[in-house]
Formats: sequence, structure tokens, C-alpha cells
Amino acid sequence: MELTITKRDGTREPFNADKINRSIERACQGLQDPISMVTQIATETRLTLYDGITTEEMDRATINAAVQNIKEDIEYDKVAVRLLLKTVYRRVIGEYDNDEEVLRKKHRDMFPGWVKKGVEEGLLDARMLGTFDLKALAGALDIARDEIFLYSGLDTLLHRYAIKDKNEEAYETPQYFFMRVAMGLAFNEKDPSLWAKRFYEKMSRHEYISGGSTNIGAGTTRPSLSNCFLMQIEDDMAHIAKSVADVMMLSKASGGIGASVTKLRATGSPLSSNNTPSSGPTPFAKIIDTAIRAIQRGGKKKGALCFYMENWHLDFPEFIDWKHNAGDDYMRMRTADTAVFMTDEFMRRVKEGGIWYMFDPKETPDLVELYGKAFSKRYAEYIEKAERGELRVFKKVPAEEQFRQILVALQTTSHPWLTWKDPINLRALNNNTGTIHMSNLCTEICLPQDRENIAVCNLASLNLAAHVHHKQVDWERLEESIRYAVRQLDDLIDINQLPIAEAEHADKENRAIGLGVMGFADVLEQLGMAYDSPHAWDFADRMFEFVSYVAIDESANLAAERGAYPNFKGSGWSKGMVPIDSIKRLEAERGKELTVDKSHHYKGLHWDELREKVRKGMRNATLMAVAPNANIGLVAGTTPGIDPRFAQVFSRNKISGKYMDLNHNLANDLKNLGIWDKVKDRIIAEQGDITAISEIPPHIRDIYKTSFSTSPYAFIEVAARAQKWIDQALSRNMYLETRDIGETMDIYMSAWEKGVKTTYYLHMKPRHTAEQSTVHVNKAEAMGKRGFAAVMHAAAEMSAETMAPARTNAVAPATAIATTAVASFTGTPDVEIREAAFRTKAAESHPSHTEPQPATRRESRIMPPSDPQADLVCDSCQ
Amino acid sequence: MLIGKASPEDMNIHPIRYQWAYDLYNQAVRNTWFPHEIALKEDLFDWEKMTDDERHAVEFLISFFNPAELIVNRSIALGIYPYLKSPECHLYLAKQMWEEANHCVAFEYVLETFPIDRDKAFSLHTNIPSMRAKEDYINRYMKRMTEDTLDVATSEGKKDFIRNLVATNIVMEGVWFYSGFMVVLSFRQRNQLRNLGSLINWVLRDESLHLKFGMNLIQNILEENAEILTREFAEEIKNIVVQGVDLEVNYNKDLFPRGILGLNADYVNQYVQYVADRRLEELGIGAHYGAKNPAKWMSGATDVLELVNFFEAQNTSYEVDARATDHARKEEDQ
Repeated sequence: MELTITKRDGTREPFNADKINRSIERACQGLQDPISMVTQIATETRLTLYDGITTEEMDRATINAAVQNIKEDIEYDKVAVRLLLKTVYRRVIGEYDNDEEVLRKKHRDMFPGWVKKGVEEGLLDARMLGTFDLKALAGALDIARDEIFLYSGLDTLLHRYAIKDKNEEAYETPQYFFMRVAMGLAFNEKDPSLWAKRFYEKMSRHEYISGGSTNIGAGTTRPSLSNCFLMQIEDDMAHIAKSVADVMMLSKASGGIGASVTKLRATGSPLSSNNTPSSGPTPFAKIIDTAIRAIQRGGKKKGALCFYMENWHLDFPEFIDWKHNAGDDYMRMRTADTAVFMTDEFMRRVKEGGIWYMFDPKETPDLVELYGKAFSKRYAEYIEKAERGELRVFKKVPAEEQFRQILVALQTTSHPWLTWKDPINLRALNNNTGTIHMSNLCTEICLPQDRENIAVCNLASLNLAAHVHHKQVDWERLEESIRYAVRQLDDLIDINQLPIAEAEHADKENRAIGLGVMGFADVLEQLGMAYDSPHAWDFADRMFEFVSYVAIDESANLAAERGAYPNFKGSGWSKGMVPIDSIKRLEAERGKELTVDKSHHYKGLHWDELREKVRKGMRNATLMAVAPNANIGLVAGTTPGIDPRFAQVFSRNKISGKYMDLNHNLANDLKNLGIWDKVKDRIIAEQGDITAISEIPPHIRDIYKTSFSTSPYAFIEVAARAQKWIDQALSRNMYLETRDIGETMDIYMSAWEKGVKTTYYLHMKPRHTAEQSTVHVNKAEAMGKRGFAAVMHAAAEMSAETMAPARTNAVAPATAIATTAVASFTGTPDVEIREAAFRTKAAESHPSHTEPQPATRRESRIMPPSDPQADLVCDSCQ
Repeated sequence: MLIGKASPEDMNIHPIRYQWAYDLYNQAVRNTWFPHEIALKEDLFDWEKMTDDERHAVEFLISFFNPAELIVNRSIALGIYPYLKSPECHLYLAKQMWEEANHCVAFEYVLETFPIDRDKAFSLHTNIPSMRAKEDYINRYMKRMTEDTLDVATSEGKKDFIRNLVATNIVMEGVWFYSGFMVVLSFRQRNQLRNLGSLINWVLRDESLHLKFGMNLIQNILEENAEILTREFAEEIKNIVVQGVDLEVNYNKDLFPRGILGLNADYVNQYVQYVADRRLEELGIGAHYGAKNPAKWMSGATDVLELVNFFEAQNTSYEVDARATDHARKEEDQ
């Protein structure tokens, strides 16, 4: 069939295979075995073309063909990245005739004009123009760093974070993006160009990445740079109504929200005006659930919010069911998430087989403000009152039974997440202004809030994997990254625009920031440690002690330079406390030691000197919080947060697309062992779990476990070790294969005993998945049946053969696709070609590519290793 | 025995004779889902932006799926269920029938949500010859079961039973549906119709179980009734599958008169052949086409575990099983 292509201007031209081949070929330069890659991509592109296809679709088809081969060889990732970059360059920079040098120059020289145009068009902040030496910054741009990206990271960045033009296409190249964010945070520096350059150097090398909202808003005319908001809903109609409005405004500014409903009076509680019974928190929560659903960006990204309730609330049993997929829709939250906020008093009662009482907060209004021993005392008094008949209503249930109900709901609906009020409040250094009533949407933030304050946190994450080279952690470089990141976050606060006065107030008074990490599991793999080994736990301890020390030191430096945060007086910091010191306070109130190693593992840090420095002033009320960073982890091409790797290969269902995620560390190790080709299909057939693949040596299988094959106690241990040093919390996903509720209760109990403050989503391993498509599947074989095989192959194979039916790898009848030609031509197996004419002209014209290249020269090696691990994340919160 | 006249013992579920059927029933119950859990409306933004050819493909597929689910139900109720005596199989089929009903309602929900001309959609399966041919094919086997009465004590009756099972379960559910799923999921792959994609993920999860059940049933019946296991019958079964694949050629032409980004009729045909080969291999007949899977990207769509950003999409891998057990405690209780 004659194929024509529809060009951008609507005219048609005949399809030119040679042109496509050349462009694919350029993208394969410098990789191993480029000819077979070109052939493969060209062939598969051709398979999908149709008459009248547009030029853009054609670009897309080529990229897709490269992407679908990444599972065969990670080198295809590089090709896909280059093909995608080319489309961006052409759009933003214009034609460069495939000349790399021309591109590099144009990319640099056009930057000042790009900024100017952006300002004129109202996309960029006017301060982007007058404040900086644009020529110097253009000179700092390093387009070669675009090669650091993995395909999923680049695609995510372009979709999610890049400024868009009128056609909703990315208006900036990746390096312009990093420079835009860097500049957008350096406006108020004394030497803005110097600091913009420093921030750029860090982010463009993926050494740290800003939180999602910052990436979207920095340097633009709408600098809403915060990700996280925490609000308490008060028990009066006016405040509930205001809260609905606040939720809408915050969602519009792309923030993720934590909202506590504990104060709302219970169902049946009399209204003061006319004594009619209240309908309880559920209908009000439903309004908010509907509100965030209404706020959509481009129809895709909904508002995101998590409701928090303390489990002594009379309506808590109803709250447990909020996420159930069946039942009255008016009683269910389809969009919002839920989390339970539990006290040590409750956990103790679970452990000791005690009874748990639930009250109407209208009758027990002070409980919400109390924690530790003070809570226990008051709670006991209310119990006595209740038993004496002095309370209007109460309920009681064995504490263990309620704990079990929570975990059954968690297992079946992934909600409510378990978070603990007492470790959050007793270990806080920042709650001199009031109680912390909740965590945030992603369970890593611990900030107080009240009627006048909607807590705000500003986030960025260090990419630990970018600080490991040749099996060594570059501590000096890491220190520099931590210091710059803290400074950048502090700068952000004065530029940040917030839509609500209460949020503005809290932001300026506390200057709270949350520096997190990503790539922890990635680093363990590179260093050859198993996630569930004591070495990994000690490493976590060492790493977080270092990050904590430097971050605190830098905030104290900034306080000396710029002044302490307004609420500093009376804080834990002002008493010379650092996070590790607060463990004693928690243990004293709990009356029980935490079951976690409490020693130091990083040698040579001067904590006592730091305590004295901190006492003089801190620039920020909080410093560290490990956000889930699934999206920026994807951008940086590493595992998110401290989570283990979900699987060696898995797919990620994201707004920006569906990505296959293959562990590049493992692929490289298996390639070095020379067994990659032998086991790659098996890894997919096993859904990314290599435990049972005997061809892979045991020491490799020990290191590369999946989230489900790693002991859940190991996740908890890593979180507990990190939590020692972190002043806020860690967003900690849980992954379980067991569905035994007793076992699940033990796991969560142990998290509490180790002092973990919060947990996040619980992922259950599915017991049944859809039939696989691209790997060998034979259900009959699996059930030991052979059906008609006996009569089909009667004579030939009866004798010796095994029971398994023969696999048909061979090309069957003549109807099928003609293959072969290219296979012998390129020396690669498995290449199908439908039309001989299409066969690799590119390869012929550049025979030099057939020379094998030494591995050391391969461009793909420059990068910090790959792979993100995904997950759920508060999209806004990273 | 699986097939035959039910005797009083067949009204007892214990002792369990066909554990596989009972296990599949339990898994099917865990897989329960409801269409309204998916926020389909969000896909309308994509719908607006899609090309006419893309919209046509979706309309065409839904128009096929919607009645097809009911045809499967009829086939189970009238052509499969009555001839089985195993109570474990009855349990499973009861759940499967609910699932088919649920799928039908799910596609109904799609038709209600998208601005599709419903009258046109509902008449498509009778008006379009290529679609009609597929239905006729199924009905041909089904009629033999439903309008005539089979004597499954005879070899010929048993063969008829298998013929119908192969047509409905293997060809319709195991080949045609699979190619349809691939086409819908390809939109998801290009970041369009994400919620419809989630819905299809659920349907596909169910269908995978249906197919597992059907394959088990065929294999076990063949084992229990060795007299029908002949070369001639095998060839006949093979022909039923091949005929089914042949019908797809015209159908796919109507599905993709031109082509859309990433897909055209030839591509889908090749996928159909690839899937049909797999079914033939599972039946022990051996591959017929030797076709390769053109849709390598399906590895990301179905082959590996999916990590979902709960803020971005409905997690379709959850299971309901409120009966979470606590072994340790149970033993204490006893």
C-alpha cells in the first residue's frame, strides 16, 4: 500500500522510510549493536503506520517503538530519550539540521531571548528579566545533561512540570526547566545569578529535585510553590463552610491537604441553636470530597486530600468505612483518603487487652489537644464520667477489636492509614505554638495548626543515588547538596504565594521546610546490600544522621545570617534540642523504651557543638520530611523515598502515561554476568520477582528483592532508623503478601514500638492477575494437562518426549510474516521485517556502527543509575 | 464426572471433587468490583480531543462487547450449566454469570457517559455484516445446545458440548475479547481514556479467570471421556478456532477503516493470530499461525504488577476479602 504522511501544514508527502531510519539511527549512536536496534525500531514503527498519518504521530510512533523494547534491553531507553528530546528541541529551539554543535549553541544563545519572550507573554515572572545576568546563566546551561534522563523521567517532566504553550506542548527544554526553577527561587539572594547557577548545577544533575508545586510554579507568574497544607476543621458551621472554601482554593493552587475532622461533634449530638441532633462528620466530609473532585486540572489531576480522625471519636466506626467500595454513596469518600490518628493510650490498651471508649468530642473537647500522659489521665477521667452516667453518649469496644477492624479495612480498601499522635507530638521540636492534630496527605509532615494557622510545608528531595559513584558515597558532595537545598527551600518561602491568609501566616511564622531523600533502595543495590539486612539498616542510620546534622547546621547558619523564624522562642530548638534528643521524652511519657538501636553510626559529627548553635537560633521550624516523591523520583530516575523496589519490572499507572519500569541496576548486573538475554522473559513471566529464577546467582537474588518478598519488618526497621534523626516523619508505604490479620496487627504494632510516627498506603499483593500477553503462557501445561496433544502428534513424539506441548518458536505456515532476511544481515535474532524495502538503509550507509564499542565508552554509563520506583504519591506533594 | 445428569450427591458441595473449580470460585468472589468505582467522566476531556477514527474504534468495540457479554451469559445458562453435574462448577458459573451481567452494565455505563449515539451503537451488532457474522458464528453452536436437547451420555452429545464451549469460551472470550482489550488498552498506553482503561483492566482480570475455568473444564472433560479424544475431533476443534480468527479479518477492517496512531487492521489481525496460537497450544493442538506478538507494549499493560498512584487512578488490583483470617486465633477458638 502506498503510504502518505500528513505534514504540519496539512499537505501530504509520500512516506520516506529512509528519512525515518536515519533519524532512528542518529538516536542509536554510540550504543551497543546499533544496527539491530535501528532495524527493530524501524520495523515496529512500520507495523503501526497508516495512510495519512501525521508527522507528529509518526514521531510518536517511533518513540513508542523504542519504548516497547526497553524490556528487551535498557539501551532502548536511551534511544527513546533521544527521540523524545529531538521533538522538544525542534519545538523550543527550532531546526538544527541534526548538527549537535549547532544545537548546543542555539540552545545556549536563545536562552536570554526565551526568558524575555516568556515574560512578555505573561508566562514568566518579570523578575526573571531584570534580576539576573542572563548571558552568564545561558553559559552555564549544559545540554549534555539531558542524557541523564531515563525515558519515563523525561516524559514525566515534560508532561507534568514543563510550562506549556498554547497547544499544551512543552514550552521549555529540560535544561531551561531546571534553570527556570533555579532562577525562580533565587530572586531575593544578594547575588541572584550566582545562586541560580548553584541551584541549577544541583538540580540539572538530579542531585536534588524540588517538590512538584515548586517545579510547576517557580519563575512563573503564579509562584504557588508549596505542596502541603494541614487544616483543622472546627466544630461550627461557619468554620466548616470556610474550610470547604479553603480546600477549594488550596486545591486550585495544586496543594495536597490534610484535614482533621476529629473536632466535629458526633452523630446525634444536639445543636446549640435548637437542640436538633447533628448529622455528624460524614456528610460534611462528603461535601469536601465532592469539592476536591470538582477541582480538576485538565480533567486529569483531581484535588487530593486526606481526612484525619482520632479513634476515640464516637463516629470512628463509620469513618473506618468511608473508603469502602460498596454502600451508600453519601457515606463514602470516593476521592479523599483517610488516616487514623492514634494515641499511645490506645496502643497500650490493644496490647493489654483493654477496653476502648469512644466519645462525642462535644462532651470531651480537650482530648483533641492532649497527648502522652496528659491524654491518658484525662481519658481515664472521661471513662469514669461515662460509667457514672454523666456523659450523654459513649461507646465501648475491646481495643483489640477496633485495631482489628482498622486493619481489615486497611487490607481491603487500603485505608485508613495508621499514624500515631504521641510520637508525632512528643518528638516534635516545633509544637510550642500548639498541638499537632494530624499529618498531611502523604503522612510525612508534622506541623501544628489551629483556627489561625493552616500549616504549610515546602518540599525538596535529595537524590542519594546521584551521590554514589564507583560504589562510594560522595559525602562532601552530599553535604553541599544538603546545604544548597536547605537554602533554596528557605528562599522559596519569601517568594511563595498562598491563597489563604491562615496559610500565609503559618508559612511566614514557621518557615517550615521538609527536605527528604529518594533513591535509598537504589543506593543499596549499587553498594550490594540487601534491604532486609542489618547492614542496610546501619547504613540508613548513618545516612540519615549525616543528612540531619548538615541540614540542621545549615538552618542555624541561615538563622545567623537572616534571623531566626518568628516562632522560634519556646521551641525545642531554643532549648538546644535536636531531633535525636526527643526520643527520651517519648520513652518517658510512654513508660517504655523504643525497640530501636539508639546509637550513632556516623562518626565525627559534633552534636554537642551543634546543640549550642541551634539554641541561638534556627531559620526553620522543621527541616526534614521524607515525602513519597514518586513523581520527582521518576524524574530523577531513582527509587522513591526509602521504599524498597516495588519489583524488578513493573508498570506504573500515572497521569502522564503508563510506564514500564525495569531495574537498570539489575539489568546491568545480569548483562555483566552474560545472562540477561537468557532470563529477561522469565523476569517478566515472574512479574518482576527473581527469587525463583535459578539461573541468576543467589547473591544477586539476595540483593534484588521486591517489595513483597522483602520482610515487612525490614521496611519498618529502615523507617525507624531514619525516624531517629528526622524531625518530621517519613512517608512509609507498606507492602504485604500476608492477608492474615493477626500477623498484620503484629507488623503494625512493631512499627509503633519502634517509634515510627506514620505509615502510608498498604499495598496488598494481588492473588490473581490478568493473563499475561507478551510472555509464554500455557495454562494447560501449568495444570499438567495436554489436551489433544496426544492425538495430534501421535507418531512423532509419543516416545521420549515430556508432557509439555512443544512451544512454537518456529515460523509456522506460509501465511505468516516473512522474516529472515534481516536476521542474517544484522546478525540479530528475532527481527521481523514485513517489507524488504524498509530494511535498514541506515545501517548500510553507516557500516562503521558494526564495530563493537568497548563498554566503557558507552554513553549510557555516565548516569546515576536508573530507575524510579513509583507509587502513589501525593502528586502535589511531590 | 463433570458432565452428565445430576444425582442427589451432586447437591452436596462436600467432599470437594474439583478443587480447581472451587478455588476459582473463591478467587472470582475476591475480584468483585462495581462500574461506578471508576470516574469515567474524566475521560470526556480525551474524548473531545480524539480523532473521528479513534472515536469510531471505541464505539465499534463497545457496540460489540455490550451484547457479547449477554450472549456469553445465555451460552452458560442454556448450553453449559445444565449439562454439568459438578456443584463446584455450578458455584463458579453462578459467579461468572454475575460478572457477565456486571460487564454488560459497565459497558452500558460507558455508553451513557460518552456522547455516543446509543441507538446506532445498539443496532451496530445487527447492522454491520462483519459483526453480525461473529454473532451468527456463536449462535450456530449455541442453538445446538439450547434449542435441541443434548444427550451428554453419548459421544456426540459430549462433542457438541465441547464445540460450544470452544466457540464461546475459547474463541469469543479467549480470542475476540482479548484483541478488543488490547485495542482499548492501547489508548491508555498513549495516555488517553485512562479510566476506561481501568475498567477494561477489571474486565480483563475477570475474563482471564473465565478462560482459566473454561480451559480447565475442557481439559478435564477430555480426560474423563477419552473416547472423544481423536485426531478428527482435534482437527474439527482447530477449525472452529481458525474460523473464528478468519471472521476477525473483516471485522478488524471495519474497526479500523484507516488506522490510528499505533494501530491498524493488520496489526490487530496479527495480534488475534498470536492469541489464537496460544489457545491452540493450550488445547494441545499446536500453533497454527506462528504469529508474533506485535503489541510488545502489552507487557506493561498486563504482564507485570502495577503500582498505582492512588491520587491519579483507580487501583484496579485490589481484591475484596473481608473474611481476612487469623489462623493463630482460630486455632485457639476451636
